[in-house]
Amino acid sequence: MLSEAVRSISANLSTTVAATMTVLIGMFLLGLVIAFATYARSWSDDVKSGLVVKVFHDRDATPKQVDAVRVVLERDSLVNQNRIEFVSAKEGLERMQKDRPDLFSAKLPYNPLGPAWTVYPKRAEDVEQIANRLGAKTERYPAGVHNVTYGKEKARRILKVANIINAIFGIAVLVLVSAAAILIANTIRLSIFARRREIEVMKLVGATNWFVRGPFMLEGLLCGLTGSVLAVILLFVSKEVALPSILPRLASDPGVGALGFWLIALILMGVGLVLGAAGSGLTLRRFLRV
Amino acid sequence: MTAVQENTLVTDSPVDLAEQAAPQSESAAAAARAMIVFDGVEKVYDPDVVALETASFVIEKGEFVFLVGPSGSGKSTLIRLLLKEIEPTSGRIFVGGRDLGRLRRSKVPQLRRNIGCVFQDFKLLPNRNAGENVAYALKVQGEGRNAIRRKVPEVLGLVGLTHKTDSYPDELSGGEQQRVSIARAFVNHPPLLVCDEPTGNLDPDTSVGIMQLLYRINRSGTTVLMATHDREMVDKMRRRVIALEDGRIARDERRGGYTTE
Repeated sequence: MLSEAVRSISANLSTTVAATMTVLIGMFLLGLVIAFATYARSWSDDVKSGLVVKVFHDRDATPKQVDAVRVVLERDSLVNQNRIEFVSAKEGLERMQKDRPDLFSAKLPYNPLGPAWTVYPKRAEDVEQIANRLGAKTERYPAGVHNVTYGKEKARRILKVANIINAIFGIAVLVLVSAAAILIANTIRLSIFARRREIEVMKLVGATNWFVRGPFMLEGLLCGLTGSVLAVILLFVSKEVALPSILPRLASDPGVGALGFWLIALILMGVGLVLGAAGSGLTLRRFLRV
Repeated sequence: MTAVQENTLVTDSPVDLAEQAAPQSESAAAAARAMIVFDGVEKVYDPDVVALETASFVIEKGEFVFLVGPSGSGKSTLIRLLLKEIEPTSGRIFVGGRDLGRLRRSKVPQLRRNIGCVFQDFKLLPNRNAGENVAYALKVQGEGRNAIRRKVPEVLGLVGLTHKTDSYPDELSGGEQQRVSIARAFVNHPPLLVCDEPTGNLDPDTSVGIMQLLYRINRSGTTVLMATHDREMVDKMRRRVIALEDGRIARDERRGGYTTE
């Protein structure tokens, strides 16, 4: 069967090359989109993780009042329990002196700040609800609390952008995968159509369907494999050459990154193989009913 | 060689054949003996083009039968029915004792391996040389390399093309291509050889050569059914003639001519 496949590949080199190129282009684009999509997702996740609720106590809040807030926070199921940070008045002042030296540089007669909480949500989308549970909406805060903030406008914008990015890339992946599938199926159909006479003869001398199909599917498999391996090589080259020039302009947080390259490569080769073999196998069915 | 041709068409246990024969004892028993039985076979193409109208005939093993009639009279339909390329609208067809209506699709390749086919347009694979074209029919059956090496030169010798083994179809003349196609059809020594106008594209002299070849094959025990337009040939050979007209069997003569005199 292998010899039959090799023979048919060399006998129909142009269509085989066309099919391989189609797979190559399809898989290259798919690889790019997967890389960008996972990158964008991870970027938006990173930005979203910056969304926090801040609870500011009065300067003269009693330890009991502070403790009451802590109890509320610890009971809130939306709050990431590992990331409830207490910022004492002294720490707060030190931070502010660092961040805003223009306002806090002078020796102040007393610390104007009270203790505060920085609360991370489990899901970024929940910041508003967490804040509202502490009275952010009605501005009726618990005793000893004078303000609760969660960067209202900023949070909404970030969430909106993140959702749009996700949707766009989701659609792009879908469109590309189906486009690649259609393109590959078409090319394979073309190459099979060119050989339908051959198939007819094979069937007439008593070849079983699998005997006819085998070499074609193997050929499709080889096309798919070659195409996707070439695509992976191309992606690797563009990653090594193009990425370093773009990367510095992108946010280079350590938490942000695309899906691992080799994982993408594996996905692409898998998709290429399946597309190649299944594509030719399915397309053949029509011609086998002789 | 003769012993090989005597075997049943589809290699099958006799038990299976007996089972099939049970319901209609007499006609079915005859069907099991004969090479081809058409029993009230009708074929209507969509929407209502009648290609074959209640055709009934029996061809015994070892016969040489001409199938004549003008274009569109149903000759090709009849051949395609034999190969189970198409299904009859009604009626039953037996080939080598096998009811084609009951033959599962997965067994169709088996059936075709036991029917040699020769066509007007040769139907050779263009990217294989003569030897490989013949070998393909053997490969399809999972025949081993040694058997192929032995059988291919043998059958190419039979059709007189030993020196053209390495030639590709486009390097061969029409007559030579038809010889290759006959070699391919005969390499398995099938009990039945079906030819659809094998001399249709050939000049008269070449046709005579092809006919002699088919005659030789027939004499070795193979049943030959040949659809043809070649009036001269039919009249000269004086063999059984089944004449089709508008899908009906107009004539079935033991030693007939192309037309009734």
